Amino acid sequence: QLTPSSFLRIGQLSNVDLNEDIHELETEVPRQRPNEIPHNEKLLSLKYESLDYDNSENQLFLEEERRINHAAFRTVEIKRWVICAMIGILTGLVACFIDIVVENLAGLKYRVVKDNIDKFTAKGGLSFSLLLWATLNASVVMVGSLIVAFIEPVAAGSGIPQIKCYLNGVKIPHVVRLKTLVIKVCGVILSVVGGLAVGKEGPMIHSGSVIAAGISQGRSTSLKRDFKIFEYFRRDTEKRDFVSAGAAAGVSAAFGAPVGGVLFSLEEGASFWNQFLTWRIFFASMISTFTLNSVLSVYHGNAWDLSSPGLINFGRFDSEKMGYTIQEIPIFIFMGVVGGILGALFNALNYWLTMFRIRYIHRPCLQVVEAMLVAAVTATVGFVMIYCSRDCQPIQGSSVAYPLQLFCADGEYNSMATAFFNTPEKSVVNLFHDPPGSYNPMTLGMFTLMYFFLACWTYGLTVSAGVFIPSLLIGAAWGRLFGISLSYLTKGSIWADPGKYALMGAAAQLGGIVRMTLSLTVIMMEATGNVTYGFPIMLVLMTAKIVGDYFVEGLYDMHIQLQSVPFLHWEAPVTSHSLTARAGCSVGPSHEGWLQCGTLTHATLLQVAGLRGLILRSQLIVLLKHKVFVERANLSLVQRRLKLKDFRDAYPRFPPIQSIHVSQDERECMIDLSEFMNPSPYTVPQEASLPRVFKLFRALGLRHLVVVDNRNEVVGMVTRKDLARYRLGKEGLEELSLAQT
Amino acid sequence: SAGLPGDLPELEPECRSLLAAFAEGSAALTGCLGRRARPVRLCQGCHGHYRRLLAQYGSIARAVGNSSESHNCAKSILTSDRLQIVVTLSEFFNETWEAANCANCLKNNSEGLSNYTEEFLDLFNKSLTCFEHNLQGQAIDLSPNNYTEVCKNCNETYTKLNDLYNHLQKMNRQGGESAHSSHLCIDVEDAMNITRKLWSRTFNCSLPCSDTVPVIAVSSFILFLPIVFYLSSFLHSKQKKRILILPKRIQSNANLVNIQEKYS
Repeated sequence: QLTPSSFLRIGQLSNVDLNEDIHELETEVPRQRPNEIPHNEKLLSLKYESLDYDNSENQLFLEEERRINHAAFRTVEIKRWVICAMIGILTGLVACFIDIVVENLAGLKYRVVKDNIDKFTAKGGLSFSLLLWATLNASVVMVGSLIVAFIEPVAAGSGIPQIKCYLNGVKIPHVVRLKTLVIKVCGVILSVVGGLAVGKEGPMIHSGSVIAAGISQGRSTSLKRDFKIFEYFRRDTEKRDFVSAGAAAGVSAAFGAPVGGVLFSLEEGASFWNQFLTWRIFFASMISTFTLNSVLSVYHGNAWDLSSPGLINFGRFDSEKMGYTIQEIPIFIFMGVVGGILGALFNALNYWLTMFRIRYIHRPCLQVVEAMLVAAVTATVGFVMIYCSRDCQPIQGSSVAYPLQLFCADGEYNSMATAFFNTPEKSVVNLFHDPPGSYNPMTLGMFTLMYFFLACWTYGLTVSAGVFIPSLLIGAAWGRLFGISLSYLTKGSIWADPGKYALMGAAAQLGGIVRMTLSLTVIMMEATGNVTYGFPIMLVLMTAKIVGDYFVEGLYDMHIQLQSVPFLHWEAPVTSHSLTARAGCSVGPSHEGWLQCGTLTHATLLQVAGLRGLILRSQLIVLLKHKVFVERANLSLVQRRLKLKDFRDAYPRFPPIQSIHVSQDERECMIDLSEFMNPSPYTVPQEASLPRVFKLFRALGLRHLVVVDNRNEVVGMVTRKDLARYRLGKEGLEELSLAQT
Repeated sequence: SAGLPGDLPELEPECRSLLAAFAEGSAALTGCLGRRARPVRLCQGCHGHYRRLLAQYGSIARAVGNSSESHNCAKSILTSDRLQIVVTLSEFFNETWEAANCANCLKNNSEGLSNYTEEFLDLFNKSLTCFEHNLQGQAIDLSPNNYTEVCKNCNETYTKLNDLYNHLQKMNRQGGESAHSSHLCIDVEDAMNITRKLWSRTFNCSLPCSDTVPVIAVSSFILFLPIVFYLSSFLHSKQKKRILILPKRIQSNANLVNIQEKYS
């Protein structure tokens, strides 16, 4: 029905600020607060908006539902499965590509450096080899850092914090674009070849998510091609479901752990879970690991060998050779404590470093220079350690791909070189499986120390790189040291097999740094291929998390806070029941007949004698673009009626308000909003406590939640920032400030 | 004793002679292997015995016959009891020969050493002669200073030997990938091992650690660069500041919980 209240006069719209800037938020609190402060972690940035999972059930939507019949809905369900299969296949292929290119390029680099070192060992002039190695590293990393810093900064880091935020419901700009995927893949290849202390498994999760977001929309906005398929899925709700499948497929391809991948997505986005989604996500991860396995088997020459289910393969952990007894459980728990403490130390150091970087190293060219310096120093540290090490071991078979002899006797090779000259993945596997006595404790100890500080320094640089493998390597190294000292103390008891302790150390260190519990346990259980190890790994991870959480947060959560993202945890802070919705919501200027709310330049509430509806900014823009004016309809200017498809076509990058031209005549026109507005937005009474509001908001994945009084008159609106600003700090409930970043 | 029919309890006469020949061949090969165990010379010395034994076992295994009971030696000798001694012995010799990888240093028809092996053994003997020559008249357990003669004079021969060995290893790796053993034949490996132990451990002739000063200089320079970088960015870069925004809220005079505002 056309009621006068649902008409919106265009002219009046121009009084309302539809600009991007937040002009209408005035400071009126009379307190002496400094307006400019240096960056800290107790801020929330205004540039992050929420994803909108709430379906606007306007009349267009109801019409569409009447039109689509039952058979068409089944087709939609089949399409979902097809998309999940495609996500799995493509993620597996991208992982293969990364693995093969890294293997070849890194092999080339090691061969060049090794030949050079061999040549100069006899002749003298080893400093040239050092310069060559440092220069090679620095130049490769320079290219990798340039593409990230100048073309797509959101591709920096491992991508797991960004995907955690996306699954939490925060729209991080550019995080699932095609450009990001390309930069991420090239960046990770260049970082690993450049010899940085990084891994290539973390970025697979981000890549999988981008692939999922791209395929599920059936078009590419960057390449401006619309394949006209999957149009039903062009919504935040559907996209988010597919992104969870993509993240799971990424984990599965990285570690060969399909169930671990499903649990990773579950852990991060638990609020919207349902059975069908679990089944589809599991399908996608299985296909991903199978694709990777078969393509890599074909590449290595023995098709259907199927022995490399993930980018890293931990090798077979045999229960007979490497069993454990119940007396070792307390030892494992102690290792968990050590892992938690070391992880907290790692995170704390990284926190100060990241703070420094955000405050002082914010120009792109400085970031590139920093990355180059880190690469050069990594090469130097490796070279100096190899040079000074007098530990020579005879080579057994072909366990080392590029053995360096340096100053050892013929037939023996420098064992420090086997640690530094290998890819980190192979070093980890060697630490797990080499027979007792293969490693000199002093060598291993020095290596652990150096690598710990290098990895801590490297995480947070403007390069695409992950932190899983470095943590595993650090943990495996000190775990093996622990095992060696244990067998020395017990005078060579058989049960102190150092490889088993290396595994527990690796789990402890990784748990201490990233603090993931359920998914990490299952990932490690699947990666080792042995379910009996699940129990001690779980104990170790739990201990590491408890001990680590006492000191400082996990690495990813810390970086999310440092980026000022309004991240909502699983539950509201426990002592916040006395905060009401009325106190917490935002209010904005009101105009006759309706109320527009504050921080939300993207939503307008319509009320006449009570709340009537909610209309989004993006919908208004589409309406203005199509010039859906009442006067034009009355004059029966040929105008087809707007359908839901027009709104979906404009998703996700709606045109900015500046590109909409409204002429002087048109400013006097009116738009009838009754067909387009959401007639039943979720509301909450003003006396509702913060935890109730939080639960509703989080469970439904809302973007706006209207606060009404007992006459259904609008009081204000609650958004993500209003909820995220309350946090449980060290001394109780604290409120974060909003800042412009 | 032709009292009982068939080959029970004694074997047929032909099978008996085949078995006796096999037993003698095994004894000869075992004796040869034992005698050439240290230093390992078994590929060179025992390949003839091995070939003969293979032929004898082959003639037993081939004597299958055609279901007529008279010439079925294979069945009666090889598979008539639980222990199957003949099969066990033959497998043992085959496995040892495979493990030693003697095929690597013999000619294709296994009738003699290959050219490379001959060359290698020749160089090996030359190196040993050179060592003895330069140590003549001196006791072995004198101070290492007296080994400088050996290191200087025999360096060329030793280097040639080492290079030839590396070349052989490279060829072996390229030749076959997984179906092939990654080792050379045991004679060659052991000879090289002995020479290397003499050269590096006994005579201590390894390469000295050179270039310490330039390496320290270059590495200190590279390690110093990040410190300079961080200091200069701390002192010269403008610190990134954030502008606080204070949103409009309903001022509620109801009891608000004590919220702690933190400025950092």
